[in-house]
Formats: sequence, C-alpha cells, structure tokens
Amino acid sequence: MNTDAPTTPGASSGSLLRRSGWRLERRLAVKPWHEVVTLVGAFIIGLAICSILIAASDKSVVDSYRALFDGAFGSRRAVYETLVQATPLIFTGLAAAFAFRARVWNIGGEGQFFAGAMGAFFVSNLWHAHLPRGVMVPVLFIAAAAAGALWASIAGLLKARYDTNEIITTVMLNFIVLLILSYLLGDMWRSPDTFYFQTVTLPESAHLPLIVDGTRLHWGFGMAVAMAVVVHVLLRRTALGYEVRGVGINRTAGSYKGISVPRVTVLVMAISGALAGLAGAAEFSGIHHRLQLDISNNFGFVGIIIALIGRLHPAGVVVSAIAFGALVNGAVTMQIQTGIPAALVDVIQGLSLIFVLTGAVAVRYRLQRTHTDE
Amino acid sequence: MNGPGADSVLLQARGVTKRFPGVVANDDITLEVHRARVHCLLGENGAGKSTLADLFYGVHEPDEGVIELRGEPIHMVSPRDAIAAGIGMVRQHFELVTPMSVLENVVIGTRGEAKVDLRAARDRLGELCDLYGVEVDLDTPVGDLAVGQQQWVEILKALYLGCEVLILDEPTAVLTPEGIERLFATLRRMASEGLTIVLITHKLHEVMEISDDVTVLRRGRVVRTSLTSEVTMADLTRMMVGRDVDLAIDVAETSRGDLVLDVSGLDVATESGRGSLKQVSLQVHEREILGIAGVSGNGQDALFDVLVGMSSADAGRILVDAKDVAELSPADRLEIGIASVPADRIHQGLMMDFRISENLILGRQRSGRYRRRGWLNQASIAQFADESVTDFEIAAPSPSHVTRVLSGGNLQKIVMARELAGQPRLLVVHQPTRGLDIGATEYVRRRLVEERDRGAAILLISEDLDELLNLSSRIAVMFDGRIVGEVDRRDATIDRIGMWMAGVSGVPGEALA
Repeated sequence: MNTDAPTTPGASSGSLLRRSGWRLERRLAVKPWHEVVTLVGAFIIGLAICSILIAASDKSVVDSYRALFDGAFGSRRAVYETLVQATPLIFTGLAAAFAFRARVWNIGGEGQFFAGAMGAFFVSNLWHAHLPRGVMVPVLFIAAAAAGALWASIAGLLKARYDTNEIITTVMLNFIVLLILSYLLGDMWRSPDTFYFQTVTLPESAHLPLIVDGTRLHWGFGMAVAMAVVVHVLLRRTALGYEVRGVGINRTAGSYKGISVPRVTVLVMAISGALAGLAGAAEFSGIHHRLQLDISNNFGFVGIIIALIGRLHPAGVVVSAIAFGALVNGAVTMQIQTGIPAALVDVIQGLSLIFVLTGAVAVRYRLQRTHTDE
Repeated sequence: MNGPGADSVLLQARGVTKRFPGVVANDDITLEVHRARVHCLLGENGAGKSTLADLFYGVHEPDEGVIELRGEPIHMVSPRDAIAAGIGMVRQHFELVTPMSVLENVVIGTRGEAKVDLRAARDRLGELCDLYGVEVDLDTPVGDLAVGQQQWVEILKALYLGCEVLILDEPTAVLTPEGIERLFATLRRMASEGLTIVLITHKLHEVMEISDDVTVLRRGRVVRTSLTSEVTMADLTRMMVGRDVDLAIDVAETSRGDLVLDVSGLDVATESGRGSLKQVSLQVHEREILGIAGVSGNGQDALFDVLVGMSSADAGRILVDAKDVAELSPADRLEIGIASVPADRIHQGLMMDFRISENLILGRQRSGRYRRRGWLNQASIAQFADESVTDFEIAAPSPSHVTRVLSGGNLQKIVMARELAGQPRLLVVHQPTRGLDIGATEYVRRRLVEERDRGAAILLISEDLDELLNLSSRIAVMFDGRIVGEVDRRDATIDRIGMWMAGVSGVPGEALA
C-alpha cells in the first residue's frame, strides 16, 4: 500500500527464494497407452472403493467379487448373458459417442430408444402376418432407426435453426416420448387380454434370430458390433465423418473453411438418434417381443456413461459396454450368493466414470519439478 | 518530469525469456519499474505484453532470467506468491463470483483466517475507496454491475490484499471514454500515494496521457524504455511496428493486371460498435499486394470476416471479377478462388486435433479430388500431404501426425500450403507472420510474393508496418473502421503511415487517392 511497505501481508521475499515445488505442465500429446491406463486404473479404483463398502457391511470382499466375476464370466451361459446385457448399451453408447464427437450433447438416447422400439412395434404389428421373418426383421429395424432419427432431429433442427440448447430439448423429448408411449399402452396398443400396460406378444416372424439356441443371445449383439465398425469407418473414412470430427474439434475454423455447422448438427443428431433407435428395436425384437414401459433399464442414460468411459471411440464403447453388461449380469449372482445388493454395481459404474473423467484430464498434464534459483 | 534514480527500482525483469510451443513469447526482456510511477507496456497484439505481466504475477515462470522485487530475486510458483509479495493484477478476464456482493468478492481472496471479520473488512474497504476516490456500492451483487464497475471490484481486491504494484492488463478495453478518464484520474492518485502502476495497452494516446515511463515491446523483445515526456506518438509508432532490416525481401516491381477485388461503400456493424466498418472502399488487382495497415481493433477483423463470407455487410458491394459475392457462403467463396489466411491460425485456421494431412484438405473435403461418393480418397489426400510437406518444408515427423505438436511456423505453413493449393484468384491474408520466428516469417513473406508473381490478387492486413512496406504495392490505413489514407509504396514513409494509424489525419486531399 504505502511507499515503503513493511506491512505487506505474507512472508518476506526471502522465504520465496527457497521455495521449490512441483508444477503441472501440459503434455503436448496424449498417447494411446495413457488412455488405456486411465480406463483400467479408473475401473480398479472404483472396485477398490466399493470393496470398502463391502467390508463395512461385514462381507468378504474376495467372495463378493468372485461371485460377481463368476456371474459375469464364470460359465458359457454367463458369458452369453453378459453379451445380452451389453447389446443395447453398445447401441446407445455409440449413439452418445457419435454425437459427442461433434460436441452435440444428445442426452436423449433414452427417448430415442423408445421411439425406435415404438417404430419397430408399429411396423411389426402391421405386417408380421404378411411378411416372412427374413423381410420383417430388417424392415422393423429400418423403421426403428427412422423413428429414432426423426425424434432426435427435432432437437437437432431446434439447435441448428434457433441455437436451442440440445441438452434441454433432448431431455424434454425423453419425457414426451414416454408419455406418448404410456398413453398408447393404455389405449389402442394395449393387449386385450391383460390389465397391464403392455402390447400383445408378437409371433416369431417379428423375432430377431438367436445366435446360440437355448440362450437369450440374439443377433442384435452381432449387429451392435457391426454398427461399431460402421461408426468407426463413417468417422474416419467419409467426408461427413471428417466434418463431424471437425465440428467437434473447432467449430470456428470449420465455419471459416466452409463446413456448414447447422447441417452437420442436424445430421449428427439424426444418426445418433437412429443408433439409439436400433437399441430399442433390438430389445423389442430380440428379447421382449412386445412393448412395455420397462423395456429399457436406463439404457439411453447408461449409454452416455459408456460413451464417456469408452473415450468416445467405437472400440472403447464396445469394450466398456461389455464390462458394464458383465457388472449388471454378475451383480445378480453376487446378490444371491452374498446378499450384497445389486445396486452396488451402480456405485461401481458411477465411481468408474468419475475416475475416468478425472483421469482423462489428468493425463493431459505431467508433474514437473520447478527449478530454483539458488 | 525527471527520470527516477536507480534506488527507486521496485520491480524488475532481468534477461527474462519465456517460450511456449512454437513461439518465443518473451525474449531476453530486461525492464525496470520504478516506485510510485505509472509504467506502460506498449506493443501490438502478440508482442509479449500479457506474457510478461503473467510472469510478474506468477502465472508462468520464466524459462531463463529472473524477476526481482525490491532488488531481490523473487521466485513465484503461482499468483498466490505474487500477492503475498505485494504484486496485484487485474487480468483481462475478471475472476469474480457474480452472485456474491462486492464486499464478499473482495474478502474471498483473503487466506489463513477461519472466520472473516466482515465489519472490519467493510471499514477497511471504505477507507480504500475514500483514499482513491472509488465509488462502488459494497453490497451490490457483482453480477448486477456493469463490466466497467466490475473492473473496479478487481482493483479493490488487489488493493485490499495489500498490493504495492498494481498490474492492469488492457483495462480500458471494457470502459467508456468517461470511464477511462475516471480510471486514469484514480491511477494518477494511486501513484501519488506511492502505489506503483504497470499498465498494459496498445493504444498510443493512453500511453501519452497516463504514463511516466513507457516500454515498447515488439515480437517478444524490448525495443526501448523511455520517459514518456521524451517521446512523441510518432516515435512510439515507429518503435511498435519497427524496422527489421534483415527481414527485407527483394521485391521486384510488377505491373498489375485486371481488377479482381472491388469493394465499395462497405458498412459492417458489430454488436459492441468496436471494430465495425464504415464506408470502406478498396481495389486489388492481379499481381498486386494491397497492404492494410492499422492498429488492431480498428476494423481489420470485420474486414477479413466480411471478405471470406463469415459475416454479411449492412451496406456496400463486394465484387470479385465483377461478380457480386455478397450472397456466397464461405464454402462458395472458396470454390470461386477466394483463399484466406486468418489472423488466429489456431482458432480460425486449423483443427489442432486433426492429422496434418486432414488439415491440409480442410475446406476441400468435398471436392472431387478428395471425395468419391462420400468416401474420402485416402490415397489422394496422402499424396497431396506428402507434396505439401515437401514443398512447404513443414517440419513434422509425418503427415499423419497430429497437428497439435507443431510449432507456430509449421502451423502457418500448413495453412499456407492449403490456401495456395487451389491457385487462388484472390488471397486475403491477416497477420500472416504474427508470433512466428524470423525463419518462418521470411518464408511466409517469400511465398506471398511468389503468389503475387503467379498472378494472384492479395489483400494483406497486417499490424507490422515493416512487413507492409516490404511487400505491398500500395498501403491503405484503417482507423476507426475507415480507410483514412492510401499511398503508393514508393511514396510511403513510416512517419506518414504512423500518423494515419495514430488517428491524426493527414492532408485531406491525400486520403482515398
């Protein structure tokens, strides 16, 4: 304050001299192995923290995790069931990852899942008696993709034209589609022979074939993995994918060089919605064969977590979807054998996500010792 | 005013160098700031002023050299250390908690006490306000204050934390003329009370009005430190834009060809009113470089954007080869041969997370050469990338490497390679060598001249007067959104252009020749 400032708060500058310390320096490039270490590390830390919860409830951590693992991968059957659980998550994870790559925040995977399932049911209900299975199944998947794409495009168009925040519109559209569905299930789509809010069960001509007979593993899983390859190729090898990635990296430079950001936004929303819609069709046609309000186990929302943990890469999405499928599947066995609530799995999921996100930022930096002048 | 003695040095930099990837932001800076004086750091954008201020405030550490306070070296790891040592700073982007009151915002930075004595704080703040004539209501939420008022909160914060040196980074950018007057009056009062002020600006008249000492920075180096009373605005302009004799390229005269770009009566309004265009007219011919000189913020950005199609004009015409391009999108303009090199290559020109090869085709990803039925033609992209890397001497491990790791000069070479690839009819170039080292600067300038010789019409917007005098056939000067003067290179002198740049109008008949 004053000309001679003996009252300056803090120590004399002498103490600053001897200070040495650590400082975070930004890395120029993050290498792929950094990403892998982050993912594995986050998962392990998530499990480790949950083991404290298990221990606190006087259960054996080892036994619990063994039961979890056995339930997920312990037998051939367990593996198939894990893949069944992973199937919708791969689709919704790809849906979120694709949109997020363009920095379009589609939080409406859940609604687009239902839109897809409804589209699939609509055409199946209409034509299952007239079309052979080999035609019916592709048609219902196409209808599901179209319905998901259409539903998501509403948010895409609003964003492109009026710069409406897509996070809000997609979340709102989730509610709307669910309310429409529950209206239909209570009215014209309700099965005549039940009081429940559900449709009739459709015959085999609308069923997705099984990969392994006698299990629930249907070809939706194969299709999901194929879609991961398609999304990867689309992003890396096509002009559209180039623009999608470009819009995600730097919108300003993109517009300066003639990329139409609104156009890309609408297309990204539509494609993302189509992917989520396929998940709805796979669950409808592969598992339930009818519509009801609980055909989604939050698949649309979990897909967002899957996408983020998979670092928005299609291969990462497949791996993390299978890991999550395994957790969900193994949790049932764990609950039966040890009495630990299956909800623990949600905790593991949540913690893993937090640590992946933390790690994703952390790997961009490295610790460096600061030099001292003495 | 007399010069201060050596014993009054409070803050100083000795041989300070700070490098960022691709740029030497501060290069061997030596500078003394004297107690109870107002010291201006003057320079163009990218001259290294803000970096130097960040070094004084502990945001960065120097790679070489030392910062000294009261004659002793001071080692700062973070702004916390700077504040503890008595250095305060008001940065360009305020660090305020908008829902909280002025009083709360000020005490929020105090540390080490479990409970804050708000009453004592209020009394002390009241004293500070009285002492320096600051008028702010302490109980208003900061979010309700105008931006200019929020700046006062930042200043109060620094004062409350007991700073002896107050650094202000471009404080007048957010102020009205009356606000500036009030700020300057207060700063003078602070200096007379013994506070030391370091003021960063690129506006000449502010330097003349407020400062006791002025240090001119250019390309990360100190040009000179002088007593403000001993220099004129023309001197300062000359120092800011400089003369790099070793960068002179031997540019042979060419005879210009047909008219390519014909702009007339162009008006572009901006939201804030700053940097808008007013009645701009200019012509560029084949085999000609028209230089646009001017201190930044006088409409250059708006001119660039309206020419490449990023914004639309409110009035006036833009003709390219006698065709009106006003309705054409950036993509369409690229198509008809309007190429552009933006001022901010990282934000406007490149996708830093793209591969080098991908950046080299940005804007042409839909052209027949690189796309067949929606698929990218990898072979042809790779071939073009290889050619470009060789032709433009881009120093990179390989064209499939991520762009982020390259230096500034190599980034600019990518932009140049991409923009020159289509043999553009018109090339709009904005600050092509800002932040580049001497080698890259020379290279970029040489390529521009080659492009001119090939037949392109080039509009070169630059703040580097030396660059303009060296490359342009004619030079037009922008001030406050207008072209205030135009002169043939043979008749151009730094003094004459500097006067126009400073807003001092020349002989009326000379303008708009």
